[in-house]
Amino acid sequence: MNAARLPLLAFVMIGCAIWSSHGLADETESKIRFAAPVRIKAGDAYLGEGRYYPSPVLHDIDGDKRLDLVVGDLIGRVTVAQRSAAKSPVAFGAEQPLNDRDGQPLKFANW
Amino acid sequence: MGSQFVDFNADGHLDYLTATFDGSPHISYGSAKGFGEPERLKDGDGQRILISSIWNYESKKHENLGRSMPDGSARSERCISALAFDWDDDGDYDLLLGSYENGHLYRQMNNGTNAEPKFTGKNIPVMAGDTQWALPAKMTAPRLVDWDSDGDLDLIAGSFGDSYGPTGKGGGVYLSRNTGKKGQPSFGALETLIAPSAKGGTEPTRPDAGLYVDAVDYDGDGDLDLVVGGYSMWTPEARRLTDEEQATVARLKKKQQVAQKRYSDLIRKINAEANEAAKGLDRGSDEFRKKWSEVWKKYDEPMSAVRKESQGLAKQIGELVPAAQRKAFVWLYERL
Repeated sequence: MNAARLPLLAFVMIGCAIWSSHGLADETESKIRFAAPVRIKAGDAYLGEGRYYPSPVLHDIDGDKRLDLVVGDLIGRVTVAQRSAAKSPVAFGAEQPLNDRDGQPLKFANW
Repeated sequence: MGSQFVDFNADGHLDYLTATFDGSPHISYGSAKGFGEPERLKDGDGQRILISSIWNYESKKHENLGRSMPDGSARSERCISALAFDWDDDGDYDLLLGSYENGHLYRQMNNGTNAEPKFTGKNIPVMAGDTQWALPAKMTAPRLVDWDSDGDLDLIAGSFGDSYGPTGKGGGVYLSRNTGKKGQPSFGALETLIAPSAKGGTEPTRPDAGLYVDAVDYDGDGDLDLVVGGYSMWTPEARRLTDEEQATVARLKKKQQVAQKRYSDLIRKINAEANEAAKGLDRGSDEFRKKWSEVWKKYDEPMSAVRKESQGLAKQIGELVPAAQRKAFVWLYERL
């Protein structure tokens, strides 16, 4: 990371550390309930482990009618974990870079 | 960065729309051969789309610009998420732009078509009832999904919360239902789907901070589950140490303090020398960066040595007294 990026990193770190009280006054607790969360695996590893702010989206990337897991991150990298053919349990292969048309990993610009 | 696969330019291929911490939306256009090189979205005047705060790649500086804000005021609101959404049901995609700092959502209308978009360059705040839509504790990225199966798209979004400290309130996930009609969406108050984390666990049990969410019928049982990426933060339970081990920890911590002081002193020395070398130069200039890099490079070896020593000590202490952990994963929340 170059020196010019350091001030923003500090800004983000400090910003994240400050709890904002700003929000909607009528924010409500939902009656919708979920089971205790479980970590999703991609191959033998945990999906997104070690990434900077992994952001998942389910999308059929290879047109096989099964939703794959596409994961972006803060630095602009994108990976995909393809869903296996087995219906149950739901399983995904190891994360691979999502490549562009030239076979290079897709990378979005960040500061 | 959130992700949306959408045929943004209506050419029959899905494109990849996102936004990063540089403060603008980016798109990689899809084709029969695959995704193209990502580019930044522009408005009808050819200007970079933004909320207000951006990283300027040319000047290499952060800037707050007021040109797209409703009142023209420059403020610290950075666009870190973008969604294509036909707000007014006129057949083309408008944009929803999400801000990191205040969790605000803005819409920017498209006066052109999908093939030839003309975004107005003017942001209109998205409302939640009578107040501006605002996610607490800094927004990651919203997603559009028909949560309540009523035929329109609702919004779900996660928050950052305190992303660093082992204590402090973490992030949550919220739902804002669309109670409007086609061409006139109206989003309601936030409902908490996942309460903000209290943190403080002894093992990873959930995403505690920086929650990025998607909703999908993961297990095929007919309802929407949540898939959530984020940092888990925990401190493993410490075992009871023998007297000898306690003495070892005390000794190592003392050495660690000395190493930390050496590290701080070295940083101060390098910064002072770099400032002197770059005296009078514009802080955003290439020359300034060059001078700084030269000075820092000179100290590569001692910096590496002091870092190695600190890491070694931390590792030894960690074997006896577990340190706080912070690691990212992706989690499934199965709806009951």
